[in-house]
Amino acid sequence: MSSRPASPRRLIDADVHNAFADIRAELRPFLARRWQAYADTHGIAVPSAGYLSPVGVQREDARTPFGGMAGSDPDFLISDHLDRYGIDIAVLTGSHVLGLSVHPDPDWGNAIASAYNQNLAHRWLTRSPRFRGSIVVNHSDPAAAAREIHRWAPDKRFVQVLMASGSSRLLGQRCYHPLYAAAAEHNLPVAIHPGTEGAGTAGAPTPAGRPTRYFEWHNIVPINFMAQINSLVCEGVFELFPNLKFVAIEGGLAWLPSLMWRMDKNYKALRAETPWLKKLPSAYIREHVYLTTQPIEEPEVPGHFLQILEMINAPKNILFSSDYPHWDFDNPVMAFPPLSKGWKDRIFHQNAADLYGITLKAEVAAPGAGEAQLTAG
Amino acid sequence: MAKHPVAKISDLPPGARRLVQVGNYEIGLFNVGGELRAYRNICPHAGAPVCVGRISGTTLPSRVYEYDYGHEECILRCPWHGWEFDLRTGEHLVDPATRLKKIAVEVAASASGNESLEAFSVEREGDTLWVVLPGEAPKP
Repeated sequence: MSSRPASPRRLIDADVHNAFADIRAELRPFLARRWQAYADTHGIAVPSAGYLSPVGVQREDARTPFGGMAGSDPDFLISDHLDRYGIDIAVLTGSHVLGLSVHPDPDWGNAIASAYNQNLAHRWLTRSPRFRGSIVVNHSDPAAAAREIHRWAPDKRFVQVLMASGSSRLLGQRCYHPLYAAAAEHNLPVAIHPGTEGAGTAGAPTPAGRPTRYFEWHNIVPINFMAQINSLVCEGVFELFPNLKFVAIEGGLAWLPSLMWRMDKNYKALRAETPWLKKLPSAYIREHVYLTTQPIEEPEVPGHFLQILEMINAPKNILFSSDYPHWDFDNPVMAFPPLSKGWKDRIFHQNAADLYGITLKAEVAAPGAGEAQLTAG
Repeated sequence: MAKHPVAKISDLPPGARRLVQVGNYEIGLFNVGGELRAYRNICPHAGAPVCVGRISGTTLPSRVYEYDYGHEECILRCPWHGWEFDLRTGEHLVDPATRLKKIAVEVAASASGNESLEAFSVEREGDTLWVVLPGEAPKP
């Protein structure tokens, strides 16, 4: 019937990168005249950290049939990725725009965010019910980010807020409260995605300085994720917004036990500094923080990875992700050591379904349903 | 159970602390706002001499970014890792199941003739503090 794998496993992919064949042409219609003029001169300019992948970021094999940028054609993304691996739902996480949060000019950042979200709604979310969108926001202007959240939240095809993991101020700080209040009001998780560590107004990728090359930079991305999760917990964001969920996309997960243990140990001695915390820091992480699997850690002994999953309560807090169509893509069929049925269900679809309010209908999960709906649409 | 005289009540006014030795036991005596408490001088966390730690208040559970300071003079902070213990209950503020080893304290009239008491009977009058240890008296 289709090339779907034999196992009728349901799959939600929490990190799929829709891209642009021509970002300026696609965003320009959604920019105010002043920013069209800016884009005409400078392009859709967002800061980069300057670390260039020697293997490229986009997979060469995932170019569109017309040679366009990987991920830039919705129909080809469905056939090349969703159908190939039997993925029911893809949470789209964008391409080449998250740096808007670390651009020095917040007005330009806000303009790109708005244009991106409009393009996403028009070009992608109308194309297939298998796509879910992320409301991209500019965290350097939390009030504007809140407005963007309020604007799109009623459109239930958007299932989360997404922003850069790089920042000039740690993401738990009080200046971000308007952003989190808006997300919490609409029950939308807030997600961060790497790439901006060391870019624009963000701090250096490590507090000891800048890595020299992409390899070294990519290795140490988790230090920033640790810093952000640590900040969110200690500043009491989850006490203030008890229904807020936070998704750490593509930041790895094997480091989390160490962070939780260190936080808990210190809390036993230093709690007086943060009297608003009412339980162990790890309890906030377990209740509020989700991590995506790709790039999955690959210890020499695969069983060690399962032990890590146990330590971080994986059956509740982990979401499968592929990162299609990027170079460090995880194949859902091969990336994982053998998991129990219960864990598989949670990691591959149930956790994401619960978090994002996605109902996996039988007809959506059935082979070929996506194509049928596309044809009909 | 064995009772050991350890101090004069007048040596331990409200807010005061004394460390005493009863056989092999080091014991911290505390007058917490008029209530007497005695704890073994061993932190249940890592074995530190907890009873010599700083006595203070601390921040009470509060709303985010609010600071309510309270428990004045009721919190003993272990000198090694800073764990806070409520001197009234011996409980660690984060995990109440972790608590200081409590020793019963009694206030009794001076019992002349008890040789252990002699060390504490310098004072002319007044009541004597006794600590009550489970089991037989530890040998000095």
